[in-house]
Amino acid sequence: MRCAGWLAILTGSSSDTVRATSCRLAGYRADGVPIVDLDLNEAQLEFRDEVRAWLRRNVGTEPLAPSSTPEGFAAHRAWERRLYEAGYAAISWPRVYGGRDADLLNQTLFDEEYARAEAPARINVLGLGLAGPTLMTCGTPAQCQRWLPSILSCEQIWSQGFSEPDAGSDLAALRTSARREGDAFIVNGQKVWTSLGRFADWMFTLVRTDPQAPKHKGISFLMIDLHRPGVSVAPIRQLNGDAGFAEVFLDDVAVPIDNLVGELNDGWRVAMTTLSFERGTGLGNHLRFSRDLQALVRLVRAAGAADDPLVRDRVAQLYIETEVFRHHSYRALTRLVDGKPIGPEASLTKLYWSEMEARIFDAGMRVMGPYAELTSDAEQAIDHQHWQARYWYSRASCIYAGTSEIQKNIIAERVLGLPRQPRG
Amino acid sequence: MRFDYSDEQYQLRDVARDFFAKECPPAAVRAAWDHDTARDSQRWRKMAEMGLVGLTVPTQYGGLGLHEVDLVLLLEEAGRAALPEPLAETTAIAVPTLVEAGTPVQRDEWLPRIAAGDAVATVQLAGTPSAQAAVVGSALVSAAHIADLLLTESGGELHAVPAGRFEAVAQPSMDGARRLFTVRAETGDDTRMDGGVEAAGKAFDRGAWATAALLNGVAQRLLDMTVAYVQERWQFGRPVGSFQAIKHKLAETLLVVETSKAATAYAAYALASGRSDRAEAVSVAKAYASDAAHKANTEALQCHGGIGFTWQHDLHLWLKRGKALEQAYGSATWHRARIAERLFA
Repeated sequence: MRCAGWLAILTGSSSDTVRATSCRLAGYRADGVPIVDLDLNEAQLEFRDEVRAWLRRNVGTEPLAPSSTPEGFAAHRAWERRLYEAGYAAISWPRVYGGRDADLLNQTLFDEEYARAEAPARINVLGLGLAGPTLMTCGTPAQCQRWLPSILSCEQIWSQGFSEPDAGSDLAALRTSARREGDAFIVNGQKVWTSLGRFADWMFTLVRTDPQAPKHKGISFLMIDLHRPGVSVAPIRQLNGDAGFAEVFLDDVAVPIDNLVGELNDGWRVAMTTLSFERGTGLGNHLRFSRDLQALVRLVRAAGAADDPLVRDRVAQLYIETEVFRHHSYRALTRLVDGKPIGPEASLTKLYWSEMEARIFDAGMRVMGPYAELTSDAEQAIDHQHWQARYWYSRASCIYAGTSEIQKNIIAERVLGLPRQPRG
Repeated sequence: MRFDYSDEQYQLRDVARDFFAKECPPAAVRAAWDHDTARDSQRWRKMAEMGLVGLTVPTQYGGLGLHEVDLVLLLEEAGRAALPEPLAETTAIAVPTLVEAGTPVQRDEWLPRIAAGDAVATVQLAGTPSAQAAVVGSALVSAAHIADLLLTESGGELHAVPAGRFEAVAQPSMDGARRLFTVRAETGDDTRMDGGVEAAGKAFDRGAWATAALLNGVAQRLLDMTVAYVQERWQFGRPVGSFQAIKHKLAETLLVVETSKAATAYAAYALASGRSDRAEAVSVAKAYASDAAHKANTEALQCHGGIGFTWQHDLHLWLKRGKALEQAYGSATWHRARIAERLFA
């Protein structure tokens, strides 16, 4: 009965009550299993095996051509169609919209299997992960009916039109204007860093509808058909050579008022809803980083550096970081499943993985030494896995979706509660 | 599948936090520096009465019969309070080692006394990497002067040596509330435990994991003190905490301290459930916690400026505990080397 000690203090109640509840903690584990439990239940195991088997049958042995090329994009689109037909396009979507009502845990299992199978990169993530859920939350039933089916089937590819040349980290400074004229908004302005903008059919966009209002209060959320007159899209060649994103110029584009999502001038709130959908996603990404780490170990061996104590220390550190990220992800996942809000802590996750990814690829570049200069098709290349290109892309991770510095500001002000710095 | 503490485990943390706030405030830690033994036997007795000391002692010996996953948050709070008493040595290392590797006689003799608060234990493990680890009996031992029981590893065997059969020589050290000693023990057939090298290796892993948990608490305290200080301290007409140069340091610190707690939780789970990746999980946790605490240590002192460099300010009580524990039971570098052995096997 001694075990009642701290519970007595805990409950501040009589020793009888305490005795009744004593060792509640220990009682949880009548079977000797700890309360923390990383094992899957039968339904989860069954789902995982089903996904694993499907991917094994359907993922080709050769990677698809890059989605930044027209033929590669067509191949990726065909792959999305197969996922859709198999019911895997967006398993976390509600059943009424064609999803599977999958909880976060099953979504994570799916993501893990997807990474394990080295299946093709998804091309409609902005539609499936952001536009769709935003419509379900802030859109009208008619809007849902209109757009969700074609997002799910990948018949229409979506892009995100948030950033502008003068509105990057300071997104609310955006200037693209939309002025009401009859049943339409006339949109003028320029969007930039629009991922897949070249191939996209639609763009969810933030536009300024009230230039007089304070900057966060005059913004609206608008769906723009990129095939309308007045829209021109110019691909931007990235420093890794790919034409992955684009500039979108909007010149007197007439957008029907039915394309407004949420209330007029309430677009900032809708946008924050959109961004909040990113928080729960990507918790299955830890597996991708673990695979990158295994690739780094192979690269170290290929470069003959496996006995170099400094290299070993560096690689062990990166291995530790990938493992810590796995534990962090499972913990965040559990908290989300328990219904605990994550909120600004999502910035911790983004800051962590993006900086880690950059360090993993940087380590690979160092290991290759002078051969790091060669591209992977060079005869003398140590690296035949596009390590160099992926190094450059990993640097982009620290910039997009809020730079590392912006994430640190969010963490400092909204998690630690430090005073805001004066803003213009 | 779930990977977070239960509500009960969080409640236990709150109980411990309130207790330490009352019984182990900074003034008490400071007092320990000046005390003969750096030990408050009243505080230890109260902890035992609450069940904290005997948390891992099986119920038939008068303990709570709980395990590492229940213990993590208590250790974190002990670190947060810079508790001077050897809770990690006694409850996290000696008790489970006695349970798993002790003889029935040793278990009967020591476990009830530990749970009751009548005996304090410490450990000396040859696995402890130190410059002098090769010299038998020279590895540094914490709290040996107040220990009633010493678990010591010698020649591949573990021994449970009672006070009176080991001699402790004080070694002046950095943290006045964590005393260090060299120990010479008189072992014999009657002190030999059942478990050998393997049990000693597991005891070492328990030490590394428990030290990681303590470090997470120390680092959290350093961060909390600094977050408070940079809001009180004004320069250039505003709180220094409103400058990005300060904010970014503290955001980076929170990132590593928070994620470190997840790694330590996993190591606890690996220990408690006997997983085969135990040693690796422990090395991940200790290496990462050491580096996270190093980061908190560095930024805390930097952000406090001159006042943090004084004896009079409480900050150094945690700076020194953290710096001591960073190196104990394997530094980050040592644990990375252990991981590299497996990665490049």
